[in-house]
Amino acid sequence: MQVEPLPPVVAPHPPLVPSTPARAVDTFFYDNKIVRDFGVATVIWGIIGMLVGVLAAFQLARPELNMGTAYTTFGRIRPLHTNAVIFAFVGNGIFTGVYYSLQRLCKARMFSDKLSKLHFWGWQLIILSAVATLPLGFTTSKEYAELEWPIDIAITLVWVVFGWNMFGTIARRRERHLYVGIWFYIATFLTVAVLHIVNSMAVPVSFMKSYSLYAGVQDALVQWWYGHNAVAFFLTTPYLGLMYYFLPKAAERPVYSYRLSIIHFWSLIFIYIWAGPHHLLYTALPDWAQSLGVAFSVMLIAPSWGGMINGLLTLRGAWDKVREEPVLKFFVVAVTAYGMATFEGPMLSLKNVNAIAHFTDWIVAHVHVGALGWNGFLTFGMLYWLWPRLYRTPLHSKKLANTHFWLGTLGILFYALPMYWAGFTQGLMWKQFNAEGMLQYPNFLETVLNLVPMYYLRGIGGVLYLSGVFVMLYNLIKTASAGTLLTDEKAQAAPLLPEAQDPHAQGGHWHRWVERRPFQLAVGATIAILIGGAIEMIPTFLVESNVPTIASVKPYTSLELQGRDLYIKEGCSNCHTQMVRPFRSETERYGEYSKAGEFVYDRPFLWGSKRTGPDLHRVGQKYPHSWHYNHMLDPTSMSPGSIMPAYPWLFDNDIDYSTLPKKITVLRDLGTPYPAGFEQQAVADARRQAQGIVAELKKEEIEVKSDKEIVALIAYLQRLGTDIKVKPEQVAATSAE
Amino acid sequence: MSLVPNLLRGAATLLLLTTGDAQAQTDAPVAPPAPADSQAMLLWFLLGALALVVALVALLFTALVIRLRPQLRRIYELPTVRGSWSGQVLGLLVGDAVLVRGEVRDEILDHDYDGIHEFDNDLPPWWKYSFYATILFAIGYLGYYHVSQSGQLQGDEYAAEMQQAALLISADADDPNKLTTYAALTAAGDLSSGKSLFVTNCAPCHGVNAEGKVGPNLTDEYWLHGGEVNHVYKTIKFGVPSKGMVAWKGKLSGKQILQVSSYLLSLQGSNPAGAKEPQGEKEAPTKPVAKL
Repeated sequence: MQVEPLPPVVAPHPPLVPSTPARAVDTFFYDNKIVRDFGVATVIWGIIGMLVGVLAAFQLARPELNMGTAYTTFGRIRPLHTNAVIFAFVGNGIFTGVYYSLQRLCKARMFSDKLSKLHFWGWQLIILSAVATLPLGFTTSKEYAELEWPIDIAITLVWVVFGWNMFGTIARRRERHLYVGIWFYIATFLTVAVLHIVNSMAVPVSFMKSYSLYAGVQDALVQWWYGHNAVAFFLTTPYLGLMYYFLPKAAERPVYSYRLSIIHFWSLIFIYIWAGPHHLLYTALPDWAQSLGVAFSVMLIAPSWGGMINGLLTLRGAWDKVREEPVLKFFVVAVTAYGMATFEGPMLSLKNVNAIAHFTDWIVAHVHVGALGWNGFLTFGMLYWLWPRLYRTPLHSKKLANTHFWLGTLGILFYALPMYWAGFTQGLMWKQFNAEGMLQYPNFLETVLNLVPMYYLRGIGGVLYLSGVFVMLYNLIKTASAGTLLTDEKAQAAPLLPEAQDPHAQGGHWHRWVERRPFQLAVGATIAILIGGAIEMIPTFLVESNVPTIASVKPYTSLELQGRDLYIKEGCSNCHTQMVRPFRSETERYGEYSKAGEFVYDRPFLWGSKRTGPDLHRVGQKYPHSWHYNHMLDPTSMSPGSIMPAYPWLFDNDIDYSTLPKKITVLRDLGTPYPAGFEQQAVADARRQAQGIVAELKKEEIEVKSDKEIVALIAYLQRLGTDIKVKPEQVAATSAE
Repeated sequence: MSLVPNLLRGAATLLLLTTGDAQAQTDAPVAPPAPADSQAMLLWFLLGALALVVALVALLFTALVIRLRPQLRRIYELPTVRGSWSGQVLGLLVGDAVLVRGEVRDEILDHDYDGIHEFDNDLPPWWKYSFYATILFAIGYLGYYHVSQSGQLQGDEYAAEMQQAALLISADADDPNKLTTYAALTAAGDLSSGKSLFVTNCAPCHGVNAEGKVGPNLTDEYWLHGGEVNHVYKTIKFGVPSKGMVAWKGKLSGKQILQVSSYLLSLQGSNPAGAKEPQGEKEAPTKPVAKL
């Protein structure tokens, strides 16, 4: 970056109207206690989320770390890790920063202490309920939206409390204009609300089970519109808002460019929302939607980099401080990681790159550069800056903060580099043909075992990063105990004059007008974020040609449905995709590529996003029942060296038929063509099919009771992807009967 | 990607045409067509010559710009030149970084948010023009695939890929009804690779010693789908999906399948421990093959 000397910053122009008579000044108090509380929650949940992450990382290298219980297998642990890190660590991080900066940017105490408390405890309870329910297997299987419907409702309510408190504070502000940080907070609040509500739409079957309102391709589109924009509006925009407050504060330098902040804010929120389909390239999603995803992802580079440049260029003239001040070091790495991840994202959205990277560890590396670098380091920098101010005492040890910085940086490198290597290698291995036109690595497991050393290194990276967080914990505790918390910080500011009398409320650039009007700003942001989603979703839902129907595709039998819900419960889709892409290397390996019409009864869709194990969409009828039986009991018996955990409890647990009739009714209401009255026969029907499977297993000298969960799971696996193998004549014959 | 080589090829052809014409006029008797090798040589030679010429021109141009820099700079600084498009190109040539980085005026606005001030600096031109470029890319991308429909979308891309691959396979190689006519392999090397292929791929279902587990015992005289080497070959290649036998075509090459088949036949009568009961029809043992 440039290092030319800068003129010292002069104070802003003298007040425009120095002649106005002195006005009465309000004295009020900022609520620091709530900031501290959210900060403490950030650290605690960060440690828990990262610990679970380290466990999950080592499980991939050493399957025995799944510990042989249902509650600790990778399929249930991985969603716990992602939820804890995104919503508990980063979520509390957002609220820490927003509650501190919003009060000061509005020159007002938070609107209501009660709402602040309600928000704090409500959010922690939601996280606790996630910690309780995810290991128990209550999950919708939709990534980063795994929590079941009662918790979804609770999230909505707590989010409303947050919004109410935020807009209440904005309404009572003593500052005429809204600072760029607040624009980002407002866009975050509105978009997350829209995303959460639309994606969580489901019909409950029981207290902790529901079926998605959308099926197959449509469910996939909605989910990745959500999933992508959870990254955009939960991990990015609020943190840009925090950057705009804490970075210039810590550097004591003016923001580089006000007009850049305007352009990149509006272009970012408008373009981001379109990019979701880049998670579904080469899938059964209609081509036009995929192409929109590619085009808008590429256009995202500049708006994202606008934030990075404005951050880094704000540090001009403060680089000497960066050398000394750990807070700024954390910020510099955070902003740089943001820039790298937001350049890599659009590159991964190009179809030829995506064909190699998708479903591999490359994507895992990519998101961790964002999460560990951008979110993690910005949070750490912010906490190191806040703690001395909240506790009115210098930071306990700058040296320890520096140690943390280096441990964290090394951790990121140890995490990301092996994962990039692993992803790139595996992506190429999947595609490699030999001179005879055969797959070079026909055995999927061979491509996995090749990566195990990388999985160890990645785990070590995680441990380094986490140990840095422990160093921070110690440092913050020492700082807190050396000082006293200033719970209510005194501040003074003049109240706002009525607009007509306020010289600050007149004229200026047209955008200044918007900045004086939170309502219009919110409406503008809402319109900007609704356009992309609407244009992609409405035609996919309404135009039939986007999901061509296939006559031979039939609804699941009642036993298969039970098996499918077990597949969801065990989190199989965390490691197995159900989406054979139209590549020769995939159709050779798995069979015919997946068609949109095959998923019309899939609620939720189970395409997955990562292939730690092979794709399962065409696994039906590929192996005998006994193969699956033995494989689920001990994967290494059928695939020597497999890193898949064993599932012994499926052989002990009875299938829960109690909600089956209700499941059938709900699915029929949603449009699955189960015949009238089928819900009454569903259980008997399932038992009959289970008997058949048990009889076949018996032929192979395997004794199993027909009411065990494994039987339902086998029924589902054997059905997967087989419908289109039925010859058209057969369909005609059966329908003629 | 292929634009540059194509251009070069085009240029080379042009050169060839002109020089070729000249040659035809001078050499009265028609020369026999040059063999393909020497034509390729000529092409590479001409391409090399062209590259050399381009490099020389570029070098001369750079030298000229460096040499005339003070003069160019003076021209660039004329107010009438500076504002124009060609002036901007000139500015890039003489290395005016402001054109890329933008003018940093650091004019401070009267904004004050909790002590945070804001400059009103210009959007950096490199940033602004990259933004425009990505917008153009997006328009071009959508136009290419969905308006002019010139690009292959995934379905066509897959069809083309499979068509290309089909050229690798002979026409009847994929007909399960057409039995092959191989003889069992007996070379020790083939049998030992057959063995290692068996252990990695088949042992989970048929047992390490082919004694039979989920799948049948393969060491006895009873066969479900025929015990002659070409029958075994067929069973391995196409599988028996209804009974859970996986089709190995695409995973093992023809040679590898034959190696496994031959290895299996070498195990006839080996009577391993824990052998599964016989299944299928009894068949006279096919001709004995070399033991390992």
